[in-house]
Amino acid sequence: MNGNNDNEKYSAADQMAVAGAHQIRPDDVIYVGLGLPFLSALLAKYTHAPNSTIIIENGIVRSTVFDMPRATDTLGSQFMSDQLSGLFYINTLGQSGHITTGFIGAGQVDRYGNVNDTCVGDYRNPVHRWSGSGGATDVISFCQRTITMLRQNKRRFPEKVDFITCPGYLDGIKGQREKAGIPPGTGPSMVITDLACYTFENGEMVVKSVHSGVGATLEQVKAEVGWDIKVAADVKDTRPPTDEEIKILRERVDPKRIWVGGKRQASKGQED
Amino acid sequence: MSKVMTMKEAISRFVASSDILFLSGMQHGEPAAAIHEIVRQKIDHLTLVSALVATANLLIGEGLVDKMVTGYAAQDTRAYSLAKAKAMNRLPVFEECSHFGISMALMAGQMGVPFLPMKSQVGSEMPKYNKNITSMKCPFTGETIGAIRAINPDVGIIHVQRADADGNAQKWGTMGVDTEGINASRKVIVTTEKIVASDVIRRDANRTIIPAFRVSAVVEQPFGAHPMHLAGCYSGDMWGYYFDTGPKENYDTYVEKLVYGVKDWDEYLKKRAEMKPAGYFENFKIKPVKSEPIITGF
Repeated sequence: MNGNNDNEKYSAADQMAVAGAHQIRPDDVIYVGLGLPFLSALLAKYTHAPNSTIIIENGIVRSTVFDMPRATDTLGSQFMSDQLSGLFYINTLGQSGHITTGFIGAGQVDRYGNVNDTCVGDYRNPVHRWSGSGGATDVISFCQRTITMLRQNKRRFPEKVDFITCPGYLDGIKGQREKAGIPPGTGPSMVITDLACYTFENGEMVVKSVHSGVGATLEQVKAEVGWDIKVAADVKDTRPPTDEEIKILRERVDPKRIWVGGKRQASKGQED
Repeated sequence: MSKVMTMKEAISRFVASSDILFLSGMQHGEPAAAIHEIVRQKIDHLTLVSALVATANLLIGEGLVDKMVTGYAAQDTRAYSLAKAKAMNRLPVFEECSHFGISMALMAGQMGVPFLPMKSQVGSEMPKYNKNITSMKCPFTGETIGAIRAINPDVGIIHVQRADADGNAQKWGTMGVDTEGINASRKVIVTTEKIVASDVIRRDANRTIIPAFRVSAVVEQPFGAHPMHLAGCYSGDMWGYYFDTGPKENYDTYVEKLVYGVKDWDEYLKKRAEMKPAGYFENFKIKPVKSEPIITGF
């Protein structure tokens, strides 16, 4: 079992989306990418954070909800937004400190929250290639808090990533990000996987809560991490989704079930 | 002065082998018709500068790209365009930065400065492999700051909703890296859904993203961004396109019938409709919503 058991009520992916939503504060300005982060952001808007603002890298700033899209930029995600601009403008909002919370995905994440979206093995002769930064490097460098979401296994949680695409706390040395030229007061704040939620203490990742509601255990969590990970003194069970949250996810956030189990379902025709 | 010409003429006159080519769009309104024409004319050894241009995969698959400067390089050779390029020993060299890095490099190009300072990409390992990303000392505070070198593409291609015959071009909806990319480009090809009277442009001149004197060619091409969407015009079929050009058999059929098997984009549109279930293009019709017109006058 891998924490993925789809019990009747909710799946590990639902738990991830809901845990992500719980990280969003009422007045947050949220920089989101495709997939689970969209579910988190929209769920938060329908529940505790109706005044939050959603920012999409193609140039979209919106304070109203919209139908879950199949891609970041669709006519649906553009339509009736508050502002349409471009990638430059969006990132200048971030670089000058106006985006509070960012979400990114990851190929690998390490002990200090560094993210690898580039390659496994040598850069010039990789064993595996991912697509590279996209906007993720900018998100983790500019947002006050960045939440990284990924499916967890030991290979994806090495002690040190093969390639730093998105800088976390680098070698875990205080002030290292700022010294490199990254704005102060930024950095990864949480990692959410299908097994657990992790926070950072002195730049190092620690287990904060375990998704016991979908069958994950602390032993299993630790077994799927590539180093001897610390566990927070107050580690607990991840707050499970409420019936209401699951209902909103199913009926309002993604009624067409475009994103199921954290994956995009095949399109039968045009975009939404 | 009218710069209206056919796509064939615009591409053959203004895009050359070994050019640095900027492609606009970032998923919204990509110049897909122009990309097909470049493939048909087999203009090769291109350096491609873009952000998320889905329809550029044909240029790679047909072995026309030497180098890609991009923030997001789908390099998974399960996509047949890449596998095909690799098999021909024509896989592009990827020069990687972040999305904002691309935008800033083009913005520096637009501004006519050699580089711009920026606060991301530093701390990542991208600068190790991309000589155009570095760090420097801020001349005022002495603090470390990142920097990216300017890019001035030889030619930029943008697809817009409307332009006049002279080349004043207007686009709305999300802009991705369009504004800086097209303004950084030395030569500019505008492809447009519709050529409108210059007065239409002039009554809403804030919407013009590049003025006529910067534009070399204007091509009127309805549905010129299909299979991508274009605000106010049509929705898209990006995921359908990924499928139609993803697996080997699909890709081969696509380029044979829809790129090399047609003489131009109008013929492509006709053939595409024939190859799809009835009503394919009707699916992309939008319910238009009009904004209140802005008032000008004196």
